[in-house]
Formats: sequence, structure tokens, C-alpha cells
Amino acid sequence: MSELSSTTGNLEVPYTPPPVTPKLPPREWIRANLFSSPFNSTLTVVSGLVILGILRGLLSFLFNPIRQWDATATNLRLLMTQAYPEEQYIRVWVSTAVILILSGLSLAVWRAGSAVPLSKVGRNLVATGATMALLTLLAPFSASATVQWLIASAVVAAGGEGIRRFSAIRSGSVGSAGSVGSGGSSGDDGRTVTTLTLLGVALTGLVVSLWVVPYGHHSFILDRTPRVMAEPGTVAMTTKLPWTVMLVILVAAYFLGRSLRDRLPTNATRATLLVSWLLAPPVLLYLVLRDPSFDMGHVLGTDLPIFGAYAVGGAVLLSWLTRPTTGEVGRIVAALVLIVGFCLFLQPMRMIVRIDMLMLACFALAAPTFAGGQRARRRYVVGWLGVLGVSSWLITAINTPSTVDVPGDFFMGGLSLTLLVAIFTLVVSFPLGILLALARTSTMPIFRLLATWFIEFVRGVPLITILIFFSIMVPLFLPRGMHLSELAAVVVGYSLFSAAYLAENVRGGLQSITRGQHEAAEAVGMTTGQKTVFIVLPQALRAAIPPLVGQCIGVFKETSLLAIIGLFDVLYIARAVMPNQTEFMGSTRENVLFVSLIYWIFAYQMSKASQRIEKRTGLGER
Amino acid sequence: MTQPTHSSSTGSSNTHAAVSARVPLWRDVVVLKWVTQVALLAVVLGTMWFLASQAGDNLRARNINTDFDFIERPVDIQLGEGIDTHPDTGGRALWTGMVNTLRLSIAGIAVATVLGVIVGLARLSDNWLVSRLASTWVEVLRNVPLLVQMIFYFSVLTTLPRVGLDTGPINGWLHISNKGISMPRVFIADGFYQWLVVVLIGAVAARFVHRRRTRIHDETGANTSPMLWAIGTVALFGLVGLFVHPAFSWLGGVFGAVAELLDSLPVIVPQVVLAAAAIGLAARWILRFLAAHRSARGHLALTDDDWFRVIFTAAASLAIVFLVVRWTGLSSWILNSGRDLFHVIEAKFDVDGAARPFDAMRPDIVQKGKFPNYGVNGLTLSLGFAAVFFGVVFYTSAFIGENVRGGILAVPKGQTEAALAVGLTRGQVIRRVVLPQAFRIILPPTGNQYLNLTKNTSLAIAVGYSEIVQVGTTVFNQTGRTLPVVAIWMLFYLSCSLTISVIVNWFNVRMQLVER
Amino acid sequence: MNDAASNPETSSPAAAAAASGQTRDLSGARDMIVCEDVSKWYGDFQALDKVSATIKEQEVVVVLGPSGSGKSTWIRCINRLEVHQEGRIVVDDVELTNDMRNIEKVRSEVGMVFQQFNLFPHLTIRDNVTLAPIWVRKKPRAEAEEQAMALLERVGIPEQADKYPGQLSGGQQQRVAIARALAMEPRIMLFDEPTSALDPEMIKEVLDVMKTLAHSGMTMMVVTHEMGFAKEVADRLIFMEDGQIVEQNTPDLFFSNPTEERTKLFLSQIL
Repeated sequence: MSELSSTTGNLEVPYTPPPVTPKLPPREWIRANLFSSPFNSTLTVVSGLVILGILRGLLSFLFNPIRQWDATATNLRLLMTQAYPEEQYIRVWVSTAVILILSGLSLAVWRAGSAVPLSKVGRNLVATGATMALLTLLAPFSASATVQWLIASAVVAAGGEGIRRFSAIRSGSVGSAGSVGSGGSSGDDGRTVTTLTLLGVALTGLVVSLWVVPYGHHSFILDRTPRVMAEPGTVAMTTKLPWTVMLVILVAAYFLGRSLRDRLPTNATRATLLVSWLLAPPVLLYLVLRDPSFDMGHVLGTDLPIFGAYAVGGAVLLSWLTRPTTGEVGRIVAALVLIVGFCLFLQPMRMIVRIDMLMLACFALAAPTFAGGQRARRRYVVGWLGVLGVSSWLITAINTPSTVDVPGDFFMGGLSLTLLVAIFTLVVSFPLGILLALARTSTMPIFRLLATWFIEFVRGVPLITILIFFSIMVPLFLPRGMHLSELAAVVVGYSLFSAAYLAENVRGGLQSITRGQHEAAEAVGMTTGQKTVFIVLPQALRAAIPPLVGQCIGVFKETSLLAIIGLFDVLYIARAVMPNQTEFMGSTRENVLFVSLIYWIFAYQMSKASQRIEKRTGLGER
Repeated sequence: MTQPTHSSSTGSSNTHAAVSARVPLWRDVVVLKWVTQVALLAVVLGTMWFLASQAGDNLRARNINTDFDFIERPVDIQLGEGIDTHPDTGGRALWTGMVNTLRLSIAGIAVATVLGVIVGLARLSDNWLVSRLASTWVEVLRNVPLLVQMIFYFSVLTTLPRVGLDTGPINGWLHISNKGISMPRVFIADGFYQWLVVVLIGAVAARFVHRRRTRIHDETGANTSPMLWAIGTVALFGLVGLFVHPAFSWLGGVFGAVAELLDSLPVIVPQVVLAAAAIGLAARWILRFLAAHRSARGHLALTDDDWFRVIFTAAASLAIVFLVVRWTGLSSWILNSGRDLFHVIEAKFDVDGAARPFDAMRPDIVQKGKFPNYGVNGLTLSLGFAAVFFGVVFYTSAFIGENVRGGILAVPKGQTEAALAVGLTRGQVIRRVVLPQAFRIILPPTGNQYLNLTKNTSLAIAVGYSEIVQVGTTVFNQTGRTLPVVAIWMLFYLSCSLTISVIVNWFNVRMQLVER
Repeated sequence: MNDAASNPETSSPAAAAAASGQTRDLSGARDMIVCEDVSKWYGDFQALDKVSATIKEQEVVVVLGPSGSGKSTWIRCINRLEVHQEGRIVVDDVELTNDMRNIEKVRSEVGMVFQQFNLFPHLTIRDNVTLAPIWVRKKPRAEAEEQAMALLERVGIPEQADKYPGQLSGGQQQRVAIARALAMEPRIMLFDEPTSALDPEMIKEVLDVMKTLAHSGMTMMVVTHEMGFAKEVADRLIFMEDGQIVEQNTPDLFFSNPTEERTKLFLSQIL
């Protein structure tokens, strides 16, 4: 019962795990899975040889002494943040810390993680140890290195076996008691451990290794002639200390979240966290990392009055529009606001005035959907003030010179630029994609035609042509006096591209909703807007989660195309910057391999997460 | 307070009096619907017009030209490979790029399909090692960006040993070096088109054979394997054709006569044909549409949506007629290119009787100046081509493999059980029951992957293979015509996408008809 | 204010009469639904052919007919889920035209129950019932929830309020659907084959709720194949075929003495 109340707002379909196939003893398992027939045996031998060949080739590539792995080690900071000034680096750490705090809180509040039987952990460790030993034997190591690695593998395997034995003993005694006590809920699997604990242990191990394992200390010394320094020993203090602090912050945030989640109302906490996640990227980017130097005279003289006027005027207008008795006059007024918003573009004017007017028009048009009692109206007005405040602040910050002084156009680069473009593209293209999908499934023919043409056009051309078009041509399409940085133009183009694909995924979800749902919503008197917001979209988006996550992975992966149009993303640095350093000539293969590892880790984790969601909501089975 | 506002009964039991006579415009749902749509259309068109006029001003201010004359003008471009490495004009350069893109896409689609099917089947294999190998393949390749993979392959290929006169692995047959991969080549020779005619006749014959064998099977129940017979017929004709094909050289004269006929036609003929086709098709569509909405008693019930469609179709056909009449260039272009086409075909048949349909050559290494290099005899995959090719093939094979696996798993287990229960063998179950159903599930997403593969070849710009985007970039850097080049790119890719989706849809429809 | 939905005890003379089993005299009552020559086509198929009928306040009308006879189309036109192409439909003095205000008014005064329940699967039972009162009627949430619990109690499943529709049986889902419709305090209830998708043992629980509702004085229009319900509860039966009203009469006369040939044929097939 307590489970039920804790997961309100989540469609929980009880997930029954598939029946556990009885474990075969190793010899029979090998016979059944590898040598069941002559054909099967041949396959096993051939593919075994192929695997051994690939592994051997890979290992001798990785551990060849002529590999320049110190190129990556020395340039890690370049790969992550490009030329962000050393003395301002605390800003990067603050941003990371904010993200980690949000992650820790969210993990706790959404009760992430699942229980894993300890015996399984043990088995996996044993397998890892065996694999390590095999790889060691295949690798071109010296005799002493081979022995050292073999010992390490044996330690891992022994640890795993120990855990397995331990859990087997415990489950023997606990299992009988548990099956009596709690109906055998998890008694059969013996002791379990949550995945979060495992994650914590792994992260702690990584951070501790920074302090003890002699990875070496690589850096450039910017003397009269820059040269590489590679000293034995552990990594520099500027690396290990911040990461230790980050780990502490993450763990602390998680436990804070755990202690808070039972005291605060769940839905409100979750909503707050979601809003924080949405606000984090722009706030961190434009305020923390960019550090605008505000001209207070201008802010007080121009920005604040504009904000005040829109805040007061908008609040009055919206609280009138959301009154249930306003009726269709409200729609006409909202349409007038929209027309005024468009007319503002015909006159020379501050951009912020135009943007605020268009936002007000959007709120006014959506007002009848959310009209209601006192509380609903107040919430709507507060929502307007929040959106207006945040966007005014950001617009002011963007239009203010930055104190961060870097060579090049943009103060971010490397992996942080990659993540930045991916996140902003997704944030912009998501609402756009939903609107396009709604238009494409609409009953209104002109909406449908326009949306279909746009989507099919965008889906018919490669992304790179769109990126080249936007990075070169956008300045030509802007009115004189208006500027858009190349990066912003590229993000706009990428968002339009991604929106077309997202729209197709959302459309799939929309089509899965039966006609009966539409009719039921209409029959209780909902307007089209209310029907869409309360009935159709929640169901459609949930049905479309797997393809949507797939699309997110695609957006993340294809940020690599930024390298082609010459932006300093992680791939460009690895391919074009680092191999041109005199110390690391011809290190492209190593660098690109490292970059592909980074991409792989992110993309693989996302796809695993999507599979978990799919399994939990049972979408695959329906 | 918030009670519903019931219209309190007015006392009269006669409801009719209370009915409002006329709906105000701002409350009429149909009017609102159309006003909203027209307003959106106006906003979209207005924005486009605004941007276009801004662009026009800016272009004029910066003295940038946007005309297409570079297509006819000489350019100084050297391309890495393709049908013409020193194109005379911008248009020729772009055409070379398009052919390179098409080569890459077609070869990529073919190989990726084979590899993808193997990967998908391997993932379903009972053999633990094989299925693990396949799933590692999928998980690694799917989650690393294609561009990163391509650049990695390219940087690995560039570290291959230099080409020498004794380059291996099998000198004279297969060469792998930092100049690319060179291998024997089979190519079509002068006699090919005559031979093709023989094969086409064979295909018609095979159809009859197939029908006949099927009828015998239906009548007697004997196992007549019609498909094998049909393939055998085509093969037989192909084989015989190798010797008898010069018999068809007279066809060249026929094509020449058609070309002469097209040349002598006045421009008005294609204009009339096109206009009549446009009006005829639209009229047929409208009449059928109206007929479908007319009741037996002749009552016509059309919604707003239907009216919109009818008007739109009529307007579109009139626009086409207007275009055809005003733009005589189109019609004369059709006539001229038709004439040229038939002349080209005529030339293909105008060959020496002894010409072979096929020829083959081994790769060679020649020493021009200081360094040895590959000659022109063999089939050479340049490094750029190889990197892009392996990139798109491996990447796409992972996705196709997943489609194949998903499609086969999606066939309900009951189907297999039922088929086994009626006594089919395991092979028959897979051939007759599982695959036909799985194919229908696999086809649409795989068609999407073909589209993606074609579009992904554009990443070749990063490794310097001369496909359309790379060539286009060179062209606009030299001529300054960015906008026209981008327009040509988009048109080219749109027509590729359209072609692939038409083909996939055709198969799709066929599969669904087979079902019923 | 007539608030029949939330006050089942409200007794009117007519309701009392109905409860005592007599045939009610509704001649003095107001017209709630008036249909005049309503016609509708789907393509070249005519679904409704000049349907004319008047339904009085507190009257319970059962519509019968073979499948494809236009019963469902008619009842859905009254809620403007389908748009009729000719003729007039007037509901509680409001004519159904393209007027947005009229459509909103009619929809919020006419409750509808579907054959397939059409509960919102992503919302709990409580949220299913309160959604429309909060956002359409603009009620405060607390008041709406109180009313929802009262309604769920009335249809007999207050304990399921926090479950999701997928966790309920068909009969329970249909009762929730009735509660959801009643939450809008409608003056008219439309039932579109409410028991056709149910297992036999669940039909009774839904019919019982409908009977209680009828006895409380609600104006009801029911498309159903449940002859027992029709005999027991209906004030009038309407028989439709091929989009036309063939015959209408009180239950007694309809079953004992049908005038039309087609009605006789229909009755002989189902009875």
C-alpha cells in the first residue's frame, strides 16, 4: 500500500520478472550453448578465433610503446573545456557541483536504483577477474607486468568469489527465515545491494585511485618555450582535490535528498527539481561560466522598467483572462496581443520588448486552457512572472560583455561545448517537435500541410547541409543591426532539424491514443487545449519514451558534426588541434579512440536507461 | 458561485422561440478554425517574405550573386576521384560529386544489408559466443558517432605502408597501402547492351515458365519448384546471350529513328501533353472524390476539409498548366533531352559485332616519376572512400541487425508452434511462416536506415572524399555561390530520399497485398 | 436549483410515480431534447434519415435497433461528437450550431457514457472524476474531490479511488465512467451501449446504478440491448432501422402490440 501512494502520478504496471531458468553446471552449460551440434562447434571455434584475434590486435595497439597516450593525458583539460582560463576554473567546478547536487537530490527523490543480489555481483566480479587474466595473457606485456596484472585479476576474482560465498551462506540462513517472515519477497536471492551503493563504491574507488595510483602527472609548462612535463607519481593536486570534493558533494546531496523526501510533499519536490534541471543549463552557462559584467545603470534604467511594465501589465491581463467568466472575449484579446507582438517587429525597437510581447501572447492564448478558481489563477500568474523574470535576466546577461577573456569566439569548447549544444538543442527542439506533431495530426488541413512539408523536407536532407547553411547563411537573413553568433545560429539550425525527427516520434505516440479518449474528453466539455494538455499529451509522450530517448542519443552523437563546420568541439580538438602540437604529431588515432570512448559511455548509458524504463512501464509487452 | 449557468426555463414550453437565430462570427467554430489557419499561413508566408527580402538587401549590399550561371562557367577544381577528376564547369563538378555519392550509397546499402542480416541472425543464434560477438558489435558501433568512426578508420588507413612496386598482400591481385585498396575489376564492355536485350527476353520467357510450372504444381501436386525453373531460364538466356548478342545490333537504328522523330516535333506537342495530363489527372481525382462522397440518392455531403482538398487540387493543376504554357523552356528541354537520350542509346548499340559484354582487369602499379602509384586498370578504393564506406556500412549494419532481430522476435511464438503442429519442417517454418511475417516488420525501419545511410555519406566531407557536399563546398568557396549550391544539395538529397521511399513503399504495399 | 445528480433523494412527483411502477405522465414537462429532421451522411452512406423526436424532462428513453441502424450516431450527434448535416437539434433550449458557446454549454450539461468506458488510463480514479469539474466547471480542488468521493460512494466503489483504471474490472470501470459523467452535474445523461463490452456477471452492477439514476429523476437516453432494463425503467422505447425512427411507444405497448412489421421482425429475433 505504501508503494502505491509513493508512486502516484506514475502508471505502475506490476512487472513480473521472467521465470528464472535453472542454472546449469558449467560443463553442461558449455555443451548446451557452445557445442550442441557439429555446426555449432564449428561456429564456436571460428568465432572464438576471431575474438582472440581482435582482442590481441586491440591490446597490442593499445599497449604499443609508440602510442602517444600522454597526448590525451596532457590535453585532458583542453578536451574538456578548451581554453577556459586557469584562474577562473573555480567557475567550472561550481557548475559541476551544481549539476552533481541536482543529480544527488534527484536520485534520492525519484528513488532511483534497484536491488541486485549480492551473489550476482560476486559472479560478475569473478567473470571480470577471469577476463582480465585472459586479456593479460593476450597483451604484449613484459614478464613482470604480466605477473602484476595476473595478481590483480586474481585478487578481483577472489574478492568476487568471497562475496558469492558470503551471500550463499547468508541466504541459506536468511532465506528460510525470510520465506516465513515476509512472504519470501526477496529471501530467495539472499542478500541484495542497491545499484546506487555499487555506483558509490565504484566512484569512490575511482577517486581514491587518483590519490594512490601513479597515473603520472602530465602538463604543459608555459615557459619561454612551451614543453611537456610528464612526471611519475599521482595526478596533480588541481585534479584530485576538486574531484574528491565533488564526490563528497554528490554523496551528501543524495543523503540530504533521502532525509528530505519523506518530509516534503513528493509532487512539489519533484516539480521544483524538474524546474531546477530546466533552469540549470542557461543559468550555469550565462551567469556562472560566462560571468557577465552588468552595467547597473543600464539595468536599472532600461531593463528593470521593461520587466516591471510587463510583470504588472501581464499579471493584470492574465488574471482577467483566466477568470472563468471571461469567455470568448478573452480569445479575441489574446489574438490582439499576438498581432501587436508581430507588429512590434515592423518598428525599430529593443529585442527584449518584442520577445516579452510574444511570450505574453503565448500565455494569453493558453489562458483559457488553465482558467479556474483563485488558486489556479494565482498559479498561472506566478508562472508568468517566473518565466518573464528568468528570461529577462538571461537576455540581459547574454547581451552583456563577459569578463571571461579567452582567445577565440566562444568561451567554451571541447566536451563542455558538445554537451552544451546537445542540451540546448534538445531543450529548444522538444516543444517545437511536440507542436509540429500536433499540427501534423491536426484536423486543420493547412496546419497539417505546413507541418508535413516542413518535417518531410528536413528529414530528406542531411544534417551537415543544414548546419553549413545556418553557419554561413544566417547573417544574410537577419535584419541589419541584428547579430547572432555562429554557435547560436548552428544551435537554431540543429534544433529545427531535431524537432522534425522528434515530431515523428511524438506523432507515433499520438496515433497510439484511441479515438475514445478524444471523445471522452470532449464529452465532459473540455476545450481542445485542455484535451491536448491533460489527456492526449501525457499519454502520447509516455508511449513515445523509447523512440524519444533514441532520438536524444542521436542528437548527442551528431553534435560531432560541429567539427566539420570548424567549431571547437571535442572531436575537432582531438583530430585537428592535438595532432598539430609539436610534441604529439600523428596522435590522431589515440585521440579519436579516446573521444569515441567518451561518446560511447554517454550513449550506452542513455540507451541502457531507456531499456530499463521500457521494461518498467511494460511498454514492450503491450 | 461557480454553479453551471442553467438557462432558467423561460416559462414557455415551446423551445423553438429560445433558439438564437444567427451565430456571431467570433463564436462560430468553423469560422474560427479557418481564420486561425489562414492567419498561420499568413504569418509563415510573411516571415518567409521578410527573411527573403532581408536576404535580398543584404546580398545586394555585399555584392553577392545568387544565380546559377556557375553551372556553365569554367572552374578550376581538381577532384580526388570520380568520373571526371578535372571537370570543365561547375555543373560537371557537381555532377561528378553526385555520381560519387550514388556509388557510395548503392554499394553501402548492398553491403550493409548483407552484413546487417548476418549480425541480426547472429544475435539470435543459440551459440553463446556468436550472439555475444554480434551484440558487442551492435552496442559498440551504435553508440559511437559515425563521424568519429569514419575519422578513426581514416587515421588508421593513413598509417598503412606506402605503396611500392611489390605491394601486397597478393601482388598483382590485391594491394593495400596508404593509397587505398586496389583489386581486380569486372566491368561492362561494349557488347553489354545487346546482351541485356537477350536477358530481358529471357526474363519474359521466365515469367511464362514460372506460370506454367506453377500450374503443373497446382494440377498435379508434384514438387515443380517454379522459382528455380524461372531463374534457370534467365541464366540460360544469359549464357546463350554471351554468344548470340551481336544479332541485336539492328536495334540501334530503331532508337535512332525515335530520336529523329523527337527532334522534328514542335514544342507545342509536349506542352499540350503535359497540360492535358495535369488537368486530366486532377479532374479524374476530383470526380472520383465527389463520386465517393455522393449518396445513392445523389446527395452530396462535403465537409470543409473536403472542399479544401478539391479546391487545392484544382488550383494545383491550373498552376501546372500555367507553368507549362509560360515556360516553353521546359517542353523544349524535354524534347531535347529525349532526343539526346535516344541518341546515346543508339550509340550503345553501334558496336563492333565481336565486342564482349563483360571484361575484367587486374590491378596494376605504375611508376610515374619518382613514386610508384596505382594504375587505372584495377578497382581502387581511395582512403576517403574506404573510410566512409566502412563507416556507413558498419554503422548501418548495427541498426539493420537490430531491425532484423526485432522483426523475427516480433513474429508470435504461436505462429511457429502452429506451423510445426501442421507438420512443416523447421526449414519450411522459417521460409514459409516466419520470414514472410518478419519481413513486413523489418522493411519499413530498414528503409529508413537506407535513407540515413544515403544522407550519412555526406559526412565524407570530413575525410576528403569527393561526394556532392565536399565538391559543393569547393565550388562555392571558389565561385561564392553558396545559396545556389545549397539549393542543389537539398534538391539532390530530397530526390534521393524520395526515390528510396518510393521503392520501399512499393515493396511495402506489395507485402501487404500478399497478406490478403 | 435542480441538482438531481448529486442529490438522489430529491423527489419529484414524476420520480415518485416511476418508483411506484406506474406509467408517468410527462405531458406537462419541459422539452429537454428536440430533434427535427436530423440527417447525416458518411460519404455516400446515410446514417441518419430525417430523425425527429422530442424527449421531455425526467423522461427515460431507450433506443433499440439492429446494429448499423444509426442509434449510436444519433446519440453522439446530441453531444456533437458527430456533426449532423441537416435538421435541428435543440438541447435544453440551446440549439447545436457552429456556435462555440452553445457547444460548450450543451457538452457541460449532457453527460455521456461510452461502450468502451474510455477512462483516462494515466489518471487515478479520483483524478478521472475530478478532472472535468476542476478545469471545465472551475471548481476548487477540495470541493471537487469531496463531490467525487460522494459519487464514487454512490456507484459503490469508494475504496478504489486511488487505483488506476487498468487495475479495475470492466463493471467497476463503467461505474467510474458514470461517476465521471455525473461529476459535471449534467441535466441529461446519454448511454451508448454501456453494457455491451461487459461480462454477463458485471452487467447487473452497472444496470443497477443506471436504474437508481433513472429513479432519481434524471433525463436519460439509453442505447442498449438489455430488454429487461428497457421494460422496467423506460418511459418510452424508440426503434430505429436504416437511420430512421420506425416506431416509438411505451414499453408495454411496444412489446405486447408492435404496429410495424419491421418491429415485429426485430422483436421475434431477439426475444
